[in-house]
Amino acid sequence: MELDQALQTFIMESRELLEAMEESLLGLESEPDDRDAIGAIFRAAHTIKGSGGLFGLDGIVAFTHVVENVLDRVRNNEVPINADLIALLLSCRDHIGMLVEQIAADSAAKPDHETETTGIMLLNQLKSYQAGTQEQSPLPAITSSQTKPQSQTAVVAQSGGTVENDNWHISLRFSHDVLRNGMDPLAFIRYLDNMGDIVHIVTLPDAMPFATDMDPESCYLGFEIDFHGENVDKATIEGVFEFVREDCSLRILPPHSRIEEYTQLIDELPEDKIRLGDLLVNCGALTWNELDEALRLQSLNAEFGCDASASRDSGNLGQILVEQNMVQPELVDAALGKQKLAKENKVQESKLIRIQADKLDQLINLVGEMVIAGAATSLLAQRTRDPALHESTSTLSRLVEEIRDSALQLRMVQIGETFSRFNRVVRDVSKEIGKDIGLAISGAETELDKSVVEKIGDPLMHLVRNSMDHGIEKSEIRLQRGKPAKGTLHLNAYHESGSIVVEVGDDGGGLNRARILAKALEKGLVTANQTLSDQEVYGLIFEAGFSTAEAVTNLSGRGVGMDVVRRNIEALRGTVEIDSREGVGTTVKIRLPLTLAIIDGFLLGVGSASYVVPLDMVMECIELSEAERQETRESNYINLRGTVLPFIRLRDQFREQGKAGRRENIVVVQYVGQMAGLVVDELMGEFQTVIKPLGKLFGNLKGISGSTILGSGEVALILDVPALIQRAVNKEAQQLAYSQTK
Amino acid sequence: MAKTVMVVDDSASLRQVVGIALRGAGYEVIEGCDGKDALSKLTGQKVHLVISDVNMPNMDGITFVKNLKQMPAYKFTPVIMLTTESQEGKKQEGQAAGAKAWVVKPFLPTQMLAAVSKLVMP
Repeated sequence: MELDQALQTFIMESRELLEAMEESLLGLESEPDDRDAIGAIFRAAHTIKGSGGLFGLDGIVAFTHVVENVLDRVRNNEVPINADLIALLLSCRDHIGMLVEQIAADSAAKPDHETETTGIMLLNQLKSYQAGTQEQSPLPAITSSQTKPQSQTAVVAQSGGTVENDNWHISLRFSHDVLRNGMDPLAFIRYLDNMGDIVHIVTLPDAMPFATDMDPESCYLGFEIDFHGENVDKATIEGVFEFVREDCSLRILPPHSRIEEYTQLIDELPEDKIRLGDLLVNCGALTWNELDEALRLQSLNAEFGCDASASRDSGNLGQILVEQNMVQPELVDAALGKQKLAKENKVQESKLIRIQADKLDQLINLVGEMVIAGAATSLLAQRTRDPALHESTSTLSRLVEEIRDSALQLRMVQIGETFSRFNRVVRDVSKEIGKDIGLAISGAETELDKSVVEKIGDPLMHLVRNSMDHGIEKSEIRLQRGKPAKGTLHLNAYHESGSIVVEVGDDGGGLNRARILAKALEKGLVTANQTLSDQEVYGLIFEAGFSTAEAVTNLSGRGVGMDVVRRNIEALRGTVEIDSREGVGTTVKIRLPLTLAIIDGFLLGVGSASYVVPLDMVMECIELSEAERQETRESNYINLRGTVLPFIRLRDQFREQGKAGRRENIVVVQYVGQMAGLVVDELMGEFQTVIKPLGKLFGNLKGISGSTILGSGEVALILDVPALIQRAVNKEAQQLAYSQTK
Repeated sequence: MAKTVMVVDDSASLRQVVGIALRGAGYEVIEGCDGKDALSKLTGQKVHLVISDVNMPNMDGITFVKNLKQMPAYKFTPVIMLTTESQEGKKQEGQAAGAKAWVVKPFLPTQMLAAVSKLVMP
């Protein structure tokens, strides 16, 4: 259960690391010497391998291990970074991603055949970058890679009896530094005891100096241990002491060792030989007879002049080598200092808290409910006419508003991450279709609601691919037209009056008005005598089944894309418009609401019903005087300080029953530079609006985009201002045309 | 009293799994996501063992151990460093810094538990 959660963490973490890896790899294309990027790529592979091993994900570990090896060589400048290697590493990244996703789908899954083949192919390609002899086992293992000092350097030729004892004999001498290195000798002995039975143990205080010379931080003790364990081998016992290998001398004699091996042991140990002999007998390793035999052999050995300390010398050499390598700590420090600068901005990231998205959604929902309940409370307080109560509810509603804003802020994410995904897309697609195209990103820090960010990826992908495929010309044509050979795709985002605008632009051939019109006529989307503005003509490409591309490529051109794009964006309460100049380029603007959950609204009354318009679309409110009412009975526009303002009577629009009130007001709303008036009875002021979607049945209603609940419990409809403005403008234009023909 | 082990690694999942294994065996576990974070969490309380990765953002494991060993409270605290086979050079650097125990990544939770109990019994 707990492990499952950890696995989820691993999957999320891997996804993020892979994303960062991709970004850095793409960065390397332009700056192949970026040490930080190489470091980050290595670390990503390293972390995935390390964590993968913890879950026993051998497939991921084995593959990532090879990638990591290659990356390590890149890091050490043993392998030069070039376009081929970057491409290969990107494929490897994708493969790791695939493996991770398969684990995400089913933690027990084996990779399917296709994935496996890809893996083998990639491993083969990686081979050429690997060091020839570096064939290390990628499987989990705890080993000390330090060469193990083998104590059997001097093989004694003489035969002798074996010791009658099935205990292991372990001689331990700790170095003075062992405590200073943080190691507790007793901990190891206790661990050993866990693996079997310590039959005898004798502590050797021989090295202990006089009290005046003794350093309490030094260890002076040695141990002779007789150990009995089932299924224990020498490596296991060595393993117990692996962490103190350098801080102790360890000699292990297996059960039934030959007596001369004990002889050698006695020889090698620093203590007095006779005393050692006593000790060995005392701790049960040897019998007196065996000891005698050992001492006899020992004197023989002495005649041969066997130098048993040879192996110790080679150990020392190793130490010296270590120390020699350590001459360069300054160099290391300098390198670290340089890295630090680049990492400063990463510190920011570590201040982030990861929250599950549904917890946040839950919070937003609750805040929504609180806003509604707060409105009800204020309403009741107003009725009581109790000034103190009124005061406190207004404080409360101000706080609620602030909580609402902060809660919504929590869901805001920068669009940059979505944008940077396209680096890879542009790179891959431009290679695929043989065009030279670069991507320019601006406004990456623009924030928008997370749910919007998630849903905008697909439409953007379509637009980007479309631009690359149809918009940007091939290099030869571009040069003929006097443009740089390399095409540029531009992604941009910015805030504009309560909405966010995302632009996909290219410096390609632009849209061909004549061709679009011809196609639209052919498809029966327009009639021959219609006069259409450029905007309207370009808008036709978003109609279902529309495509002017002669050839269908696998990217686009089937005409299923653009109408889906528009539908997706409309589902987000957004709009799409297109701007193009032939030969210069095309820009598609997607306009989206800042948030999908709660907005500041303006409450209007018409007859018995209430309506809400988003506050940031409201420009001003004016009274429709009695005189103007008479005047405008026929026409649907007024003169607003010298400009024509078309308007819609909401009473007529929504067939509201009953007579109009004595006073009528016009709410002037604007959207994308167009203005229109909404004629209403009552202005009820600002209102925090929790947006509730309309049921499926009402999905096709024109002019309504949602609903909300008022403090009184009544439902108010949220007006779709862009649609209403369009309607007002069109209606007015039609009437104008009609009166002209008359 | 339970012994305290600090786990320092930039991988949250690694910390989680090692944490589960160690807590299950009766250790108390505190976590650090990199050297800098770990140092900020070491405020003199008793820590019986530190497990640290080498490769981490902000402050790598070796710098972390160097710093750790200079703090009087942690001068004698044993350190297990996590390494990969390809980091022989790093290992020597780490040993000089004061990390004497090494565990090779990738490892299984049980292997980490064994390594820890060699140094500190729960």
